[in-house]
Amino acid sequence: MSEDRPSPSDAPPADPEALLAELERDTAEALAKAKADAEAEARAAQPPEEAEAAAPVVEVSAPADETPAPEVDPPVVAFRNVTKTYGDGPKAFTAIKDLTFSVPDIPGKGEFICVLGPSGCGKSTVLRLIAGLGPQHPPTIGEVLVEGRPVTGPGADRGMVFQDYTSFDHMTVEDNVAFGLACRGVGKKERLEQAHHWIDKVGLSVGHDARKYPHQLSGGMRQRVAIARTLILKPRIILMDEPFGALDPSTRMQMQDNLVALWRDLEATVFFVTHSIEEAVYLGDRVHILSSSPGTLLREIQVPPPDRPAQAMQRDPEFLEYVFDIRDTIETLEASRRAGDD
Amino acid sequence: MNDGAAGGPGSGPAPTRESWTKRLFRLREEPPYWLRILLGVSSVGFILIVWAALTSGSIPEERAISPAVLPSLGETAESLPRLFGERGLIASIAASLTRVFLGFGLACLIGIPFGMLAGAWRPFNALMTPLVIFGRNIPIAALIPLTLLWFGIDETQKVMFLFIATVPFVFSSAASAVVAIHQRYVETAQTLGASPWQIFRKVLAPLALPQVFTDNRQLFGLAFGYIMLAELVNAKRGLGFLIQISQKRSQPEDILMILVIIGLLAWLIDKTLAWFQRGLFPYRRDL
Repeated sequence: MSEDRPSPSDAPPADPEALLAELERDTAEALAKAKADAEAEARAAQPPEEAEAAAPVVEVSAPADETPAPEVDPPVVAFRNVTKTYGDGPKAFTAIKDLTFSVPDIPGKGEFICVLGPSGCGKSTVLRLIAGLGPQHPPTIGEVLVEGRPVTGPGADRGMVFQDYTSFDHMTVEDNVAFGLACRGVGKKERLEQAHHWIDKVGLSVGHDARKYPHQLSGGMRQRVAIARTLILKPRIILMDEPFGALDPSTRMQMQDNLVALWRDLEATVFFVTHSIEEAVYLGDRVHILSSSPGTLLREIQVPPPDRPAQAMQRDPEFLEYVFDIRDTIETLEASRRAGDD
Repeated sequence: MNDGAAGGPGSGPAPTRESWTKRLFRLREEPPYWLRILLGVSSVGFILIVWAALTSGSIPEERAISPAVLPSLGETAESLPRLFGERGLIASIAASLTRVFLGFGLACLIGIPFGMLAGAWRPFNALMTPLVIFGRNIPIAALIPLTLLWFGIDETQKVMFLFIATVPFVFSSAASAVVAIHQRYVETAQTLGASPWQIFRKVLAPLALPQVFTDNRQLFGLAFGYIMLAELVNAKRGLGFLIQISQKRSQPEDILMILVIIGLLAWLIDKTLAWFQRGLFPYRRDL
């Protein structure tokens, strides 16, 4: 967990630092507002179909109080003032601090949320808190709610895909994919049938790959297995912790396209942690930007959904504008963090 | 070393102009098969040459080492028919192997599942740690009088001696094999809805098994060595018993021949186990 290494400065944040952070947030908000205005204008000038594609460009500044009315379904995921601190005394390290956000439950549709931020800002901590995996779970302060209920531990309703290849080496591809169904007690014939369906959906060949062992597959193929293994259980929430981080760029784009296609068929909310801004802007409906440690939600940006293959869309000037904007935000953050260290 | 040079050009054309001496000193590079065999044979050959040199001379007084201490190669070879004939080597081998298979098999049967449980469930490991440390460090020779008192002088004593001597090693090897499995696999299984018992049965145990098998291949050698010790006391058959009688009869050539046979036997068993291992774990190419 690179996110969780102890902070270089042992002292708790002094007042000037807090002020600085406040100032930064204000600046970021102002920037965001200005940009939103500019985008609204640009949208007005756009031809109708493109405007629709880029539709809800809304900027929300965190932390926002619970937006949905009480009668509406509880949010899919809600963080309420979540702080995670490791250790105590002078060696204590706060990975995320006072994180509040919620992802509404839109009937019939899941959102694709990408989590970006400078390294060590607690991106993985957020995912692992939702998954209920220790030692990040449980939070030190605050609550993590999934569909209105506090997270008590890991479960199949929150599937997770890790960056490292976690295929079970002793099982064939089809048994890997069918693992969750086997744990549920689904009969062999039925679970293999479903596994073959998903092996095909993630772009592997049933005839060719189903009986192979993971060591016979490339990194990209192993991640396809990991995705199939998670999606076969139809989880409400899919957590992806830099799943394509170890892949070469062209494989990565293929995987992105495949993931977009798969996700359209699912009613699942995806949380996708990545280092790549392009990846986040391409895949996401929304991009959450976390500030450096202790991580807080700094910006929440609505981005256009992926409507073309990755290769085409990621060359679009409008797309690049989002990328540059987010890159500037993160660079400002990292610069201020380095300044703080001195 | 000269042997290696002579074998070099004969092994086929080497299109790359890099000299073989340079390649020989590359770190962690496996030499070609023929060279590995050649190097292995030459180490055995070296011992045999030194042995032959030290025991050469037709009259015993002319030898560097007296035949009562170290018999010549020929004398040792001559003991072979006697060993297989009147001394019943085959029956002794069978007796020793049966004891090892029973004693060590029992240790595996109990040590592996409990060791794996200890690796997965740490409180159980904490419970067992003192016993295991004690068991691993117990002077092995002290177990012989103790097991004689507990289990009598028959086969039970020999099997139980082996069991007690090896089970702590089997246990801790199985425990550490499970501990070594990366936590990611457990987390993955958890997010796929597996229960703790399912994770143990379907993920941890099978992933640890290849390592457990490798460790126990080595521990088998240890058990094979231990059994000779038990057979020095109150045995009617067995390789250890044969060695002891040879010593009483002042037949060092018999002892040497038995040692050679034990070495060959151990090698054969290890190769057989390795063959099984490759069949059992096709997903581990590194074994």
